[in-house]
Amino acid sequence: MTLLRTQGLTAGYGPLTVLEGIDIEVNEGEIVVMLGANGAGKTTTMRAISGVMPRQGIIEYEGRAIQKASPDAIVRGGIAQVPQGRGTFPELSVADNMRAGAYVRRDSAASVQADLEKWFEVFPRLAERHAQRAGSLSGGEQQMLAIARALMSRPKLLLCDEPSMGLAPLITQELFHVIERLNRDEGLSVLLVEQNANLAMHMASRVYLLETGRIVASGSAAELGADDTIRKAYLGF
Amino acid sequence: MSARIIIKSGGRASWAIRAAAAAAVVALLLWIPTRGSDSLIDTCTTAAMLMAAAMSLNLLLGYTGQISLGHSAFFGIGVYTTAIAVTRWGWSPFVTLPVAFAVAFVVGLLVSLPALRIKGVYLALVTLALGLVFPAFIKWPKIEWLTNGSRGLDQTGFKFSKDNPTYELFGWNPWGNLRGQNVKPFYFWVGVLMVVFVYLVCRGVVKSRVGRSLVAIRDNSTAAAVMGVNLAVTKGIVFGLSAAMCALPGSLSAIRTGTVTPDSALLTVAGSITFLVIMVVGGSGSLWGPVMGAIVYQFIIERTGDWSDPDKIPGAVRPLFSWSDVAPGGGIFAMALILLMFFAPFGIVGLWHKLVAKVVTVVPKPAGTTSLVREETAPAES
Amino acid sequence: MALFLQRLVDGLAEGSIYALLALGLVIIYRGTGHLNFAQGEMALFSTYTVYQFGEWGVPIGIAVLLGMCVGFVLGAATEVVLVRPISKKSPFAVFIVTIGMFQLLNWLDGAIWGGQQLPSTAMGSKQVKFPSLFPSNPDDYFTVFGAAITWRSFCILALVLVIGAVLYLLFNYTKLGLAMRAVASNSESAKLVGIRTSTVLMFSWGIAAAIGALGGVVFAGLTTNVNQSLMFQVFIYASAAATLGGFDSPGGAVVGGLSIGVIQNLAAGYADEWVGQEMKVGVAFLVILAVLLLRPSGLFGTSKVERV
Repeated sequence: MTLLRTQGLTAGYGPLTVLEGIDIEVNEGEIVVMLGANGAGKTTTMRAISGVMPRQGIIEYEGRAIQKASPDAIVRGGIAQVPQGRGTFPELSVADNMRAGAYVRRDSAASVQADLEKWFEVFPRLAERHAQRAGSLSGGEQQMLAIARALMSRPKLLLCDEPSMGLAPLITQELFHVIERLNRDEGLSVLLVEQNANLAMHMASRVYLLETGRIVASGSAAELGADDTIRKAYLGF
Repeated sequence: MSARIIIKSGGRASWAIRAAAAAAVVALLLWIPTRGSDSLIDTCTTAAMLMAAAMSLNLLLGYTGQISLGHSAFFGIGVYTTAIAVTRWGWSPFVTLPVAFAVAFVVGLLVSLPALRIKGVYLALVTLALGLVFPAFIKWPKIEWLTNGSRGLDQTGFKFSKDNPTYELFGWNPWGNLRGQNVKPFYFWVGVLMVVFVYLVCRGVVKSRVGRSLVAIRDNSTAAAVMGVNLAVTKGIVFGLSAAMCALPGSLSAIRTGTVTPDSALLTVAGSITFLVIMVVGGSGSLWGPVMGAIVYQFIIERTGDWSDPDKIPGAVRPLFSWSDVAPGGGIFAMALILLMFFAPFGIVGLWHKLVAKVVTVVPKPAGTTSLVREETAPAES
Repeated sequence: MALFLQRLVDGLAEGSIYALLALGLVIIYRGTGHLNFAQGEMALFSTYTVYQFGEWGVPIGIAVLLGMCVGFVLGAATEVVLVRPISKKSPFAVFIVTIGMFQLLNWLDGAIWGGQQLPSTAMGSKQVKFPSLFPSNPDDYFTVFGAAITWRSFCILALVLVIGAVLYLLFNYTKLGLAMRAVASNSESAKLVGIRTSTVLMFSWGIAAAIGALGGVVFAGLTTNVNQSLMFQVFIYASAAATLGGFDSPGGAVVGGLSIGVIQNLAAGYADEWVGQEMKVGVAFLVILAVLLLRPSGLFGTSKVERV
């Protein structure tokens, strides 16, 4: 079943159009990877879906049009974003960062606390540093924190904006394992944008190639990997 | 498409317009002191002084992006330099003008030291504090021997006497009667001269290489530094110049009124805000902005000065202002300040350019020359 | 020693008022990065409404609460109607708008309540003194180590500590506080976790103005000369306090405010000849200059201050 679908999604900054009509789909339980170089419009796609920038076109989530919804309504609906470049709250403690992730939830403080402890079990390093300022964490830890924070809103769809950025390959690998595990165990659907094709392709159900604001190719990881031109031009292996 | 007037920059029509405008200005300047009423001459003289002060602020803000709420202090330095030199040391009043200029330049340079390290609202804060300190400093007991504290100083003006010569021009007497019966036209001319001087200094700075580097600083400090603009020196000198030019009208006001007190409006923070209002209303970042701003400001303030009495308010606006027994000038300009930021961030001059651009197309000369209409406009960002 | 203690406590009391206004400045600065030049005038307008409620016979405690509500509405409305739309244009425009508010409110005070000192018999005031929250008779004092400590000073100091504690709890243990800290820390991420940043900023301005209103009332109760220029200098003292403590640190604002109050009172007390009442503002000026030159981020601030 389709969870998220965009049709002719355009967005930009002032006079500059970055996305020139994007059609993508994320089905329930999938990990969809969007690959693209710097400036292709990956972050813009994420921000447009999350509603933090002006956008045109259709964005459907669970069959409802959300292109006019406010960011908080979108989060409440179950889409959470892990922003690019570890967008944590550096002055806040790790635990407070995670509590902020649960901001839209209307249930009791006790159940928020229960979730907090649950994710601390999944990310034991965050548990160790729960009282530390987020800004003092290492890059990998901050990225984990950003994911954990997004999970605190109990999303159905997780948008990950270049989680590997600036991280060592080993840490990136660990991170992707976590994402795969969340997908498998929790049934979390994921839309992940990356430059790092190699690692991301392995776990992708489907892949989109984004180039200067347009989708230029799509298909399963195997299909795209089999196409020589695409492989050489975009995937670099 | 509606018919548009097309003017070639540097062409015959362009020169005709320039000549007509210049002739109109000269005619007005001659008409005011010779045929205008005494109160009109007074209003225009005060406006001229405000013009100079606002121009000095404009140089700083419009071209370096630095904000000052302390220019009342520099105005005050002008006032007190003249007052002290005249009353304590017996100098001739007009000799004190260059001295006031120099003193304010040095103080401005000193104040700009922290300004070199901070920017934006912090500089505004420092200068606001300076504006508040100045009147307090004048009243400081330790310095009362010089400034006479809050009682102020008397007899600081120019002495008109029977010995002063009179001048006539084709039977007119545009300079006023220097023997003391009517000296208003005389001060009018001094005021005009001062505005011309300040205008030329500003224009010189703006059009020079320094001026272009100033705009570079305002738009992007880092880029300017990379291009080899010496930020510290340029900013310091501009701040000093700005302060110095603001001292001139202060000096003149001491000469003109003959008495000074530390609590008069232009010497307190209210003065700084007045200069700011004039600059913003006229149009920040344009050389003509303060001129328009000062004229509009002074006329509205004087026109509404007696509106504290509801019967004096013209019928159409009476319901708006009759509820209060305080003159509405301050409120009007406060609202103007806020509304202008929404609808016309470049003030009257900016509005004028917008209007002209709707009906007139100026065909620019080849690169390297300037066009008629856009000549004194600042770039669209501030 | 007794004299020192007395001056210390009086300085702390005065500093408490600066701390209240500085807290408002810091709350707004953290949220939006703007310095609200109208903070003092918002406080004065609210203070005048407290006087007005007093004229209508409202008991002082309730009048002060109502005045704080007026302040809250004034601050929140300023943010929503003026600052938010204009901040998209340029920081300069926001600066001019706050200066415009400064001027407008100051003019309104005069236009509504007359230009004179309040309460005034000419204006037909029923109250003989400006309403004061705390006992303010000359004999309301107690003695500690030979120092005469007025109840008023004591209460003001206690008040700012209570307000500080309430704010601490608000910031650290409520959802609104968490949202305020998140917005101050990273506004984009705050939006991404579903915080309505616009609502938070509105509340920030409202709370800031309400605290300022309280500071204004307390200060008006301290001085005998309540007039339109009451807040000019207090604003500079509060700014000095915020600069000293660090513009993004609420705790710093309190420490900064108390320090400025104490420095001023000790300076005015021990170097009367040099400082006196007139040059107290000079002390604030020097503090601002020194802090910005030596440590622009203040004592407790993070180094976010823009340097050239």
